[in-house]
Amino acid sequence: MKRLTLTTLASVLLCSTAFADDITLTMWTESSNAPESVFAQEFSDMDNGITIDVREVRFDDLVAETLRAFATGTNPDIIAIDNPDHAAFASRGAFLDLTPMIEMSDQIDIENYFDGPRSSLTWDDGVYGIPRASNTIALYYNKDMFRAAGLDPDSPPATWAEFYDAAKALTDPDNDVYGVAFSAKASEEGTFQFLPWAQMGGGSFDNINTDGAAEALDLWKRLFDEGLTSPDTLTRGQWDSTGTFNGGNAAMAISGPWELKRMAEDADFDWGVTLLPVREEGGPRASALGDFNLAVFANSENPEAAFQFLEYYDSQAERIWPEFTRMPSKIGVELAPTGDEKIDAAAPVFVEQLQYARNRGPHPEWPRISKAIQDGFQSALTGQAESKEALDQAAGAIERILN
Amino acid sequence: MTDTRLRNSVMLAVAVILAAIYLFPLYWMYVTSLKTNSSIFAVPPEFLPGAPQWETYSLIWGESNIVRYLANSLFIAFGVTLVTAVVGSGAAYVLARYRNIWIDVALFMVLMLQVLPPSLMVTPIFVAFTSLGILDYPRIGTILAISAKTMPFFIILCRAAFMTIPRELEEAALVDGNSRIGAFMMVVLPLARNGILVAALLIFMQGFGEYVYSASLIADNRLQPASIGMTNYLQPNVVTWNAIMAFAATYVTPILAAFVILQRNIVSGLTSGALK
Amino acid sequence: MQRIAHTIRDGVGFDVLLIAFALFYLFAFAGLPILYNVILSFQQVDMFSLGSLFHEITGWENYVAVFNDPLASRVFWNTIVFTAASVFFQFSIGFALALYFNQRFPGASWIRGLFLAGWVMPGLVVGVLWNWLLSGDFGVINWVLMSMGFIDEPIFWRSDTDYSLIAVILANVWYGVPFNMILLAVGLAAIPDDLYEAASLDGATTWQKFWTITLPMMRSTIGAVIALGIIFTLQQFDLFAAVTSGGPAGSSMVAQYWSWELSFRQFDFGRGAVIAVMMIVVVLGVAAIYVRSTRQETRL
Repeated sequence: MKRLTLTTLASVLLCSTAFADDITLTMWTESSNAPESVFAQEFSDMDNGITIDVREVRFDDLVAETLRAFATGTNPDIIAIDNPDHAAFASRGAFLDLTPMIEMSDQIDIENYFDGPRSSLTWDDGVYGIPRASNTIALYYNKDMFRAAGLDPDSPPATWAEFYDAAKALTDPDNDVYGVAFSAKASEEGTFQFLPWAQMGGGSFDNINTDGAAEALDLWKRLFDEGLTSPDTLTRGQWDSTGTFNGGNAAMAISGPWELKRMAEDADFDWGVTLLPVREEGGPRASALGDFNLAVFANSENPEAAFQFLEYYDSQAERIWPEFTRMPSKIGVELAPTGDEKIDAAAPVFVEQLQYARNRGPHPEWPRISKAIQDGFQSALTGQAESKEALDQAAGAIERILN
Repeated sequence: MTDTRLRNSVMLAVAVILAAIYLFPLYWMYVTSLKTNSSIFAVPPEFLPGAPQWETYSLIWGESNIVRYLANSLFIAFGVTLVTAVVGSGAAYVLARYRNIWIDVALFMVLMLQVLPPSLMVTPIFVAFTSLGILDYPRIGTILAISAKTMPFFIILCRAAFMTIPRELEEAALVDGNSRIGAFMMVVLPLARNGILVAALLIFMQGFGEYVYSASLIADNRLQPASIGMTNYLQPNVVTWNAIMAFAATYVTPILAAFVILQRNIVSGLTSGALK
Repeated sequence: MQRIAHTIRDGVGFDVLLIAFALFYLFAFAGLPILYNVILSFQQVDMFSLGSLFHEITGWENYVAVFNDPLASRVFWNTIVFTAASVFFQFSIGFALALYFNQRFPGASWIRGLFLAGWVMPGLVVGVLWNWLLSGDFGVINWVLMSMGFIDEPIFWRSDTDYSLIAVILANVWYGVPFNMILLAVGLAAIPDDLYEAASLDGATTWQKFWTITLPMMRSTIGAVIALGIIFTLQQFDLFAAVTSGGPAGSSMVAQYWSWELSFRQFDFGRGAVIAVMMIVVVLGVAAIYVRSTRQETRL
């Protein structure tokens, strides 16, 4: 049974009285091409009396739409939600605590998930969902440019100092090439990119102003001041920044596995992926943990049916990588070869990087914490404050939010 | 006579250059829709796509239900135009007819109520519409909400049109024994026809491209307009810009073509017709 | 009863009915939401209780918080600069184009129609296009300026704190020109030709005709266009979202975007509402000036 384990099938049969009438569940998600949408379609096509209606909501509007709907009781049964936003809903009892159902389940075992995704959906010992997938960021680099600049494409930069030197060596203004492309935008994407650097510098979201974090921000600032990255890095998201890497206008790029497919198609040069460089050799590694969680709303009239879908989702974990180039959050799921040599070479790097991926929060006030971090690095990068001073201000703002 | 011809050619040439500069962003939309997702970011910019990606168009026609989205956009645009014109024309007429403090207050209110952007008004509207059950008919709800946004604009425009109608014509109709509504429908409205049509067309296009209310009030994918369909290509980490531009081009082009043709008749109708 | 029926059929009742209907409609679908914002601005609003009208009353606390925000004064000036510059350039360019296309030459009305492209385009698409055009590295505007020798180094329109607001203004001027042009064109078309002919007989120059005939005859149209222009500019949202997101470091933040960001990014609905209320105060002023300007209207 690939699609449905025997036990869930049995539970369907046992509960057949409860499912005498056909059940229609609603699910909100950011994309109809995402795994949960595809799996929901398969699940609806099964003969289980449950249909799932999927509504696509633009990512930028998802939380606002959900809040509005929740306020009026018109929220869906299931939602796919970005993991830093999860805690706000879980902590307020908007999501259903799945602990009792998970205890009964033969499919879902919360211990089977990596620590990062698991902590993003846990609140006060309750389990408020399952992870959809996981992603993280690493360093892409253009091997042809490395060769041309006399760098060894087989030993990409591993420390901050090496990273800076490489960016410097690779920058070539005459040919419109920047050393590195990344995103320092004042949005969640910017936090996603900066936080790992702060963490490698010994910081964390509730302790953002460590010397190491300030050193990281100084490094970023130098990239800007010396023209090693485009000034538009300040207002550009990761996807558009990596687009300049694919087009040959940046020699390195910091982004995640979602880039792989487009890069494999568009980049006509030899490229590779390596772990984010660390502060100094042997220093702590860190990376950001991204992607969504699936949660069931507490006011759903059919929580068992919704949970049944989550079980089905969990049972399909091995399809997440080959079909969607997303990384499964389940421990022990091998990334099956996709047939593309470069993507398959990148896969183990992201798997390793994911081990160091840390959660954003979890905290119900995450959006405001994240904003304080964004204000911090942006005011330093635009020259309004020194790095340390900017991070001190951010730390002060976060302190007020936490207390 | 050659002087006139020379003048005409020069004026035409300048006009064409001005239009070309102005339309460049539109051209950029078409070019981008034919580029690959990475060549959009190429330095220097590619003014002609090296290898036009026509399959982007077949892709969006194939997978995105674009016809359904366009039909919904048309439905909403027609609805908005109708509601705005029916409710707004009468008000515009009254506001043009008198000149006193109450009219000042009414005019003031009409403008005032336009103040907030839809993104700040949509929450209370959503809550109210849900509890009143209006959202059982989401497209109708959306039409009602958008119309409140377009109404002040329509009223101000049409008021100017009504101002230009000689009062004596209406009074003559009243003396002939018409009721007020009779005079309004038979004499005043036909005379203000062109102004109302121009305003209605502008409103139509606003309704056609509206995003904020449609996104919040219409939960069912099957009822959503093209402006929402387009944003389905905007995902958190993956944004297929070429598909978005192809989608936008598909949905803007017919309406733009129709408008270029129609506006010529209407504005030239204004120059020669009833307003003098 | 009969008197009411009578006044509706033959008297002022008809007018009252028409205007009351429209005002009632506007009040229900626009007035109440505005009122809701005013009420929110005095409350401590939790993100999960948006549906109810009653929250903990905090008095002026939200106002104090907004005014003490280090961003407040910059947002204030940015909003003024953005609105004034946008309206000024939209109006001047729109008026110039309207006058130009008011001349009779072959193709004039066709080409004028093409300028309406800006009106038809969805805000999101316009924002994305200008985001690319204004991009520092691969942007067409820099490329043109550099190849024509106006600048040596690319200008990072979106990311340079000195230029970010100008970037959004540029995009907004482009977006608003058609609206100004078409309304002013309609106004110009309504000026009777014989006025100009009479002035020509008296030996007036083009310039004199513009000052003594065109401008006075256009007064009501100009008042309406500018008032609507200011209000539309204060509502401009898509371009900020797409071009700069109010950044970098808040350098292009304006009231309407800040209000949205506080409400829907930081879920601080109370403070978001405070800024909305401030905007209402500004529009009150604009509306009052417009209504005064209609005093001088002449009716044919």
